[in-house]
Amino acid sequence: MNGLLAGLVILVIGDSHMVTNDYLITTLHNDLVQQGATVNSYGMCGTNAGDWVYKTTVSCGEAERHGTKAPVINRQPRSPGWTMEDLIAANRPNLVVVEMGDTMAGYGQQTFAKGWVYEQVRTLTQRIAAHNLPCIWVGPPWGNEGSSYHKTFTRVKEMSDFLAQSVAPCKYIDSTQFSKPGEWPTIDGQHLTASGYRIWGKDISDSIGHMVSSGEIKK
Amino acid sequence: MGSVLRLVLALGICGIAAESAGAADGRLYPSGPPNGVAYLRFANLSPAAVKVSSAAGALDLPTSDAQRVGEFDPVTPGTELTGTVAIGDRTAPIKLTLKQNEFVTVAVTAAAEGPPTVTLLREEPSDFNAQKSALALYNVDKNCAEAELLAGDRHTVVVSGVKPDATGRRLVNPVNVALSVGCGAEGGKATGVELGAMAAGDRYSVFIYAGPGSAGRQALALTDKMAPFRP
Repeated sequence: MNGLLAGLVILVIGDSHMVTNDYLITTLHNDLVQQGATVNSYGMCGTNAGDWVYKTTVSCGEAERHGTKAPVINRQPRSPGWTMEDLIAANRPNLVVVEMGDTMAGYGQQTFAKGWVYEQVRTLTQRIAAHNLPCIWVGPPWGNEGSSYHKTFTRVKEMSDFLAQSVAPCKYIDSTQFSKPGEWPTIDGQHLTASGYRIWGKDISDSIGHMVSSGEIKK
Repeated sequence: MGSVLRLVLALGICGIAAESAGAADGRLYPSGPPNGVAYLRFANLSPAAVKVSSAAGALDLPTSDAQRVGEFDPVTPGTELTGTVAIGDRTAPIKLTLKQNEFVTVAVTAAAEGPPTVTLLREEPSDFNAQKSALALYNVDKNCAEAELLAGDRHTVVVSGVKPDATGRRLVNPVNVALSVGCGAEGGKATGVELGAMAAGDRYSVFIYAGPGSAGRQALALTDKMAPFRP
């Protein structure tokens, strides 16, 4: 443990990348704990940013994890979702980390719905900002092309660039900077292999550590 | 706005979402708004209350500046929307189909006689930025050949050359500055608008339109609102 993040109570939320063992709910969570933070993580599969503000029903799984305990994963087909408001009240974080992008990018759609994505993102960032909490938004990784998720490198880049200009006052971590397009293998075009999640989690955790040590995120 | 009309439009989107997810060919969940989304709002630029009606319901647009313009409601692109707008017992039909990602403002103005005038202001904005403020100028004054949005006492031009029934846009730094509107051809004559301090990430609309009778040119400024994409 290096203690760089000691004193931080981090609330991490995300999409399907956070809902399976050995995904970010394991790797990123462990890396943040390893740096001394108190960490509470939640994942809701298939959700958009607005789903964390206006309570939703989750159809493809949700998970939560607290501190050094194991993730609790719920695969019930219709589970009640969490809201940011409830999670802030329950966990009293002093830093929020949001991992989201793939569910909103419109893979397979001809046009990129900027207005819709902006409304989704802003709904969540404004709710976090209302609590005067610093936050960090983690964008999507490249994934692989040619899958049933219809993910393309062009749209991932478009989405990541758009998130970079849309998530303020949150800081942005551009996951496409961590690898070359297609470099990290996936199991289905969108979700990484276990080794990919290890690398991605470490890269995110290191970026958060850098933001804290540089003063970009205040402890 | 919370209207019956919005509820029905939103239900239309939900139906498409369910259908699309079910036919997703191996996808575990959809990405983005299934089949796209478009946004529609109404603006009452007349001196009297306006009622917008469809088979689904009705919404009222009063004359107070805070309530003249509704929020952008998500609607299903590619689906024809029909209804009527009414000022008192004078009515005009509405029939429009929005394209994916299109933002449409239906501006309603009153003529001295006859039905209300309906102006469709259509755009596909791309100026979404959480660190800037997005200013839009809507020219609904047919006598203003080239509308412009001006800032400060020196009338620094922010947006210019906006033709009647058209829109001009610009991203600006979020500041507190006095704004006014004018018509380029008329030189120097400006009408002030009340907007207040702009916030980073927020989006603003300024309407320039003709007032009733001898009231002259009017201007209205407001912060855009988007209704959530929810059932």
